[in-house]
Amino acid sequence: MSETIRLSRIQIIFAYVVIALFALFFFYPLFWMVVGSFKVPIDQYTLGFIPWLQFQPTLRNWEGELIIQSSENIRGMMNSTVIGLGAASIATVFGVIAGYALARYEFQKMKNINILTWFLSLRFLPPIAMAIPFYVMMQSIGLIDNVIAVIIMHGSAFTPYAVLVIRDAFKSMPIAMEESAMVDGASVFTILRKIALPIAAPALAAIFLLTFSFSWNEYLIAFVLTSKQAATMPIRLAMTMTAIGIFFSQMSVRQLLAVVPPIVLGILVQKYIVSGLTMGAIKA
Amino acid sequence: MIPLVKLKVYHVFVLIPVIYILVVSIFPTVYMMAGSFTDWKLGIAEMPFVGVKNYVDSLQDYRLYNSLWVIFYLNIMAVPLEIALGIFLAQLMALRLRGRRLFRTMFLLPVFTSPVAVAVMGNIIFYENGGPLNGMLNLLNLSGIPWRSSTTVAPLTVVLCDVWMWTPFCFLITLAGIEAIPREYTEAAVVDGASLFEIFRRINLPLISAPLVTILMFRVLDGLKIFEIPMILVGGGGPGIVTETLTIYIYKTAFRGFFLGRAAAMSLIFMVIIAVLSGFFISRVRKYYV
Repeated sequence: MSETIRLSRIQIIFAYVVIALFALFFFYPLFWMVVGSFKVPIDQYTLGFIPWLQFQPTLRNWEGELIIQSSENIRGMMNSTVIGLGAASIATVFGVIAGYALARYEFQKMKNINILTWFLSLRFLPPIAMAIPFYVMMQSIGLIDNVIAVIIMHGSAFTPYAVLVIRDAFKSMPIAMEESAMVDGASVFTILRKIALPIAAPALAAIFLLTFSFSWNEYLIAFVLTSKQAATMPIRLAMTMTAIGIFFSQMSVRQLLAVVPPIVLGILVQKYIVSGLTMGAIKA
Repeated sequence: MIPLVKLKVYHVFVLIPVIYILVVSIFPTVYMMAGSFTDWKLGIAEMPFVGVKNYVDSLQDYRLYNSLWVIFYLNIMAVPLEIALGIFLAQLMALRLRGRRLFRTMFLLPVFTSPVAVAVMGNIIFYENGGPLNGMLNLLNLSGIPWRSSTTVAPLTVVLCDVWMWTPFCFLITLAGIEAIPREYTEAAVVDGASLFEIFRRINLPLISAPLVTILMFRVLDGLKIFEIPMILVGGGGPGIVTETLTIYIYKTAFRGFFLGRAAAMSLIFMVIIAVLSGFFISRVRKYYV
């Protein structure tokens, strides 16, 4: 264990400088958003970012967006939350049952690997190709601009993802306890409820939160299926863009409202993120 | 040994999600396939049969070829850069410098930023008269760059946003791959006096082929569907149609032109392209699932 890579001082400094530059690159737009949300409109066009010294910070934008004209933002946040929770619940429940079956049972005729590949291939279907006919179907039953339509579609879009990742989580758990329970005559449901689910709970919670974030950030499907009542936060954000002129101050606030929840959830589930983002192909 | 009842439970477990997906995702696709042979218009119930007219028209449409070129161009510019930067950063981070967890968390931010938010941020950052980037250039006595209004720069601006959004993804997956390499390999190489670059070239790079193939699959297949950034950052694929991707063009055909039949035909062409490419990648990736 003693022999690890030894770096010279210059190499270490170089590595830090490069990493810091990239951290700045990734962080800067979000930082600029935070600064912008405390600037009055006239200051938006200045480069200052140090409050009080370079610009006079104001709470006016936050007040305007959260209190005075809050109804649209609250509706957007509510819609995003409801759709996210609905879609994540569907995906996680279906992911648990199918993922468990695929992890613990050998399908004779169709072979597990083929079923897994089928789920994987669904991930790559272009959403526009499903959204157009789904829009027409939803229109015919009057579900346009309704959160239910978006939940159904998001649920279907994220279920393949949940199946593969949850199957991966079950697969990495020791099978011994489940086997002895089966020998004792416990049913699949009992085993799932009493043994498998409690052990897999942290992974399942992480997958639930990841799917929630994906649904929260999803734009195309939500954009096609909603117009006003059921519009999600990204749609609200995009709408403020196309309006006459751009109001940087208000936009910065809305931007943060849309961006912060998934980022916080993402940081919470960091441990599961590699398996999560590659649908279980790469373990970490 | 396992009784038949238990067999059925497992089958039902898989069948429920499969049926759900068939109804919600596959059935509409089949419906659309049928619609692509009709003069299907948004808001009109009749769908008169027109044969392969939509396909013939689509294949003679320069905007379809333009959009295919756009997704090809954006991907060929963005994806190699994202993967190269991702490998580079992962290798640096794998040196176990102090503070790497903080940096890793900062690198995580773009992964969870919605593409719409990236596009909206781009509107502010790339604002041409007084945005922060051109402001800084002016400070250095350089003239501002027409980030969004020039037909040559605008696609590159989209590429830059895409790189911002996806490099961290490539980085995270590659880092996981490098960290999974047994430490003995590196230690043995260090004992033998290998340089940093040699360790990367001869040990790490060959051993991260699985993560790299996976990254390539996700980046290429998702990259072809790029929609939000060109749609919102440069006003629906502008200036003109230089960033009009296939998804944007199909969207416009369906919901601005109301020509659902044409949109359906193009969606099908799109699906064939995706199917061919995903078949190619999945046949290489499926062994990671055994």
